[in-house]
Amino acid sequence: MTTYPPLTVITFLPLAGAAVVFLFNERLARWIALATTLLTLAASVPLYLRFDRTSSALQFVESVPWIPSWNVVYGMGVDGISLPFIFLSVVIGVLCVGVSWAAVRVLRREFYSTLLVAETAMIGLFAATNFFLFYVFWELMVVPMFLLVGVWGGTGRVAAAFKFLLFTLAGSLLMLVGLMVLLHASGTLDFQGLAQMRPRLSLSLQAWLFVAFSAGFAVKVPMFPVHTWLPDAHTEAPTAGSVILAGILLKMGGYGLLRIALPILPDATRLFLTPMLALSALAIVYGAYVTLAQTDVKRLIAYSSISHMGFVTLGIFTLNRSGLEGAILQMVNHGIITGALFLCVGMIYERTHTRNIEDYGGLFKVAPVYSSFFAIFCLAAAGVPGLNSFVGEFLITSGAFRTRPWLGAAAIWGVALGATYIFWLYYRVVLRDVNPGLRGLRLDINVREVATLAPLAALALVLGLYPESVLGFLRESVGQLLAAVSASAAVAVKL
Amino acid sequence: MTDLLILVPELVLVAVALALILVARHVRRAQIAAASVVVAAAAAALSLWFFPLDNPRTGFGGTIAGDGYARFFNILFAANLALAALFSVRHLEEEHVPPAEYCALLLLASTGMMLAASAVDLLILYLGLELMIVCSYILVGITRDRLISNEAALKYFLLGSFASAVLLYGIGLVYGVTGATDFAAIARGLTERNLARDPLLLVGVALVAGGLAFKIAAVPFHAWAPDVYQGASAPVAAFLAAGSKAAGIAAVVRISSTAFAPERAILSDILVALAALSLVVGSLLAIAQSNMKRLLAYSSIAHAGYALLGLISGTAEGASATMTYAFVYAFMTLGAFGVVVALGQRGEELEGYRGLAYTSPVTAALMFLFLLSLTGIPPTAGFAAKFAVILSAVRGGYVVLAVLAVICSVVSAFFYLRVAVLMYMTEPEGSAPGRFPVAVSAALAVAAVVTIAGGVFPDALTAWTVPP
Repeated sequence: MTTYPPLTVITFLPLAGAAVVFLFNERLARWIALATTLLTLAASVPLYLRFDRTSSALQFVESVPWIPSWNVVYGMGVDGISLPFIFLSVVIGVLCVGVSWAAVRVLRREFYSTLLVAETAMIGLFAATNFFLFYVFWELMVVPMFLLVGVWGGTGRVAAAFKFLLFTLAGSLLMLVGLMVLLHASGTLDFQGLAQMRPRLSLSLQAWLFVAFSAGFAVKVPMFPVHTWLPDAHTEAPTAGSVILAGILLKMGGYGLLRIALPILPDATRLFLTPMLALSALAIVYGAYVTLAQTDVKRLIAYSSISHMGFVTLGIFTLNRSGLEGAILQMVNHGIITGALFLCVGMIYERTHTRNIEDYGGLFKVAPVYSSFFAIFCLAAAGVPGLNSFVGEFLITSGAFRTRPWLGAAAIWGVALGATYIFWLYYRVVLRDVNPGLRGLRLDINVREVATLAPLAALALVLGLYPESVLGFLRESVGQLLAAVSASAAVAVKL
Repeated sequence: MTDLLILVPELVLVAVALALILVARHVRRAQIAAASVVVAAAAAALSLWFFPLDNPRTGFGGTIAGDGYARFFNILFAANLALAALFSVRHLEEEHVPPAEYCALLLLASTGMMLAASAVDLLILYLGLELMIVCSYILVGITRDRLISNEAALKYFLLGSFASAVLLYGIGLVYGVTGATDFAAIARGLTERNLARDPLLLVGVALVAGGLAFKIAAVPFHAWAPDVYQGASAPVAAFLAAGSKAAGIAAVVRISSTAFAPERAILSDILVALAALSLVVGSLLAIAQSNMKRLLAYSSIAHAGYALLGLISGTAEGASATMTYAFVYAFMTLGAFGVVVALGQRGEELEGYRGLAYTSPVTAALMFLFLLSLTGIPPTAGFAAKFAVILSAVRGGYVVLAVLAVICSVVSAFFYLRVAVLMYMTEPEGSAPGRFPVAVSAALAVAAVVTIAGGVFPDALTAWTVPP
């Protein structure tokens, strides 16, 4: 069992599948994609079973010399922080194929191939142990997303795709310059080597690097002033694209903050703590208010993502255990819930061809199964106890109260607004009287769609009732991360 | 006699060129002429293995070097020549261009490029570059009955002669001050006799830099490129975009790290200005283009800027980054022009790319690959090369310039990916483009393989990019 490198295998299986898709005709493309994503899911199972939860060290490590002249190795490995995201990526990979089964009708080979390349980029990003490889996967992700939105999206797809592309490239290329400066200053790009480097980089250099990296991460999260690409990209993307965006792409930014900004630039993190916290709180409240005003279902969920991701960055920058664990858990939760909500919206859109909330109403009468699933995910999104989001939001909020009480207040405010907009959405779409425009349509979902939604519903329930299933993986790695950040405080005091 | 060994690649090309001219009347088929060029290029490249790398030497009175540096560029020029010849097959038949003469000119121009890369003397350098550019004038205008070609050739000739005169004047001034045309002797003279601040010499350095900047199409010596690329047939434009730029870069790298090495400060200032202007002007003007070859011309101007970034810091690492950049750029731009060739008349205008992914998915995918590489998105060779040159600028302390370079990359993403938008995100119009010759497919495949392999293994070229 130990003879094969599991991380490389699950990272590049989808890529191989992406090539295989082109060897067969168009009708087989979705079958090949399904087989590839299921195989990847299966191949990732040993990772969770054999992962040692009592250790904060990187596991399943692979290291092969790659680019000696820049001191870059091809390094793969996972710790407790990255493993949940890998799990999320392989699950969402399968579901994206499921939801696209009947929806994608043009350039099908290209579509599934693009989807698989995206999966490789997602897994690889979370498995990379050095910044160069991380950056390669980070950029590799941009192209499939650009294509998914631009080729298979809605009416405003080209503009949305370009907006997404230019925002992310502007952010990530600044990150690239930061990466080069870091390489020049430290001589290594290995995450562990950088985090343990002594003496640390000077505070002014750290601050510049923090700005450069945050530019890249903040666009992806997205944090408050650079979030404007998200509603457009979400709204215009095909369902699978929205699910990947919400499920994984937004998490890349948060993961980057955890993996790079905090441990490598701890002093700068503390320097920029207050503005980052303020931006997070602003994103929570502002995002929630904008969400309330939406009339388009997809746009509504997109704006709710901004609010929810505000919770995540808030948790990260509390710099205490409760906040950090909550932030990571909440990223997984948000991936599950928002992914599921986009799946729900996509499924109903295929039948009604409208995203306007006013065109819906009374779905519980005409689509009872659908309405039940939608109910579970809406309750989860609202943070109802027993479902997954509650735990994450609770941890983040309590972490926030511990650092700055006004942040806790903002978070509570955000939770209340969140319940408001999501229940109001549910009222307008599912309850009320049946909208006359929906009569005569076969609206309820079929077995394939139930099979697509059921795993996510199960996950929402399991993580809600037994959050330890994720938190158990995190504990040691978060402890190490906290030690790295607070060790810097000790050094700073000495200086 | 042993001196001749250094020139074997050049001699091979010249011999085949002369043979082609002799039998020109009997060579009617483009395939035969192109095949002989490919064979000549392969022979020239293979002949390089016969002199050992660990023993660099000069010949012909210390004017021509046979070192790893020359060998690297000779291989690049041989590849450029072979790919350009393969791209030309259809063009020669459709435009009724005499194949033997055309191929002989390709061979002679490549000989000039090789000579320029091997030269360690200003006069030999000048000879090489002149041989290249005189052949290029004819190649650009070889379709005599097309007005736009004539115009392009005339513009190229007028501006090119002016640039050559500038270069020659610079050489004259440098000779006047130092009393030498030999690179090593110039450097020695500059340091020993403390001439580095001589105003005449500074003018000479600036003029030489200007003359060479014309060859690599760096701003403000770029004006010829869009018109010439547009007017020339696509294979010739590809040959010039990759070859002329690489020859210019070869000369700039060698001169800046040998002859003018004591002039590091002034040279850095000149290079910073050239690079920054090329990046900004090339990227911004490309946005407005609606003709594919003009777009690639402005892109080539911007890429001249990226290539020069490696030279600013004056380190060996930076010089080899620039060499890698020239190599990678040659293949990706040859690939992009190759798609233009493959699509024929339709490939000339951006509108011709509408819905290409629906009608010819493979061609569209290849174009997309080359465009991604030109943008610098991993895992393509364009990314690795861009990383290397920008890294060397960062190491030299030019962080602001590095930020400018990445901002220009974002701008360039806009116009490169606009082509991708047309190919993938618009409905096809009209019929599918016709099939194209096997030769073109083969050349495209080579370019694609290099573009991907260079990105997956960025260090693959390191052993070869030996700075002079």
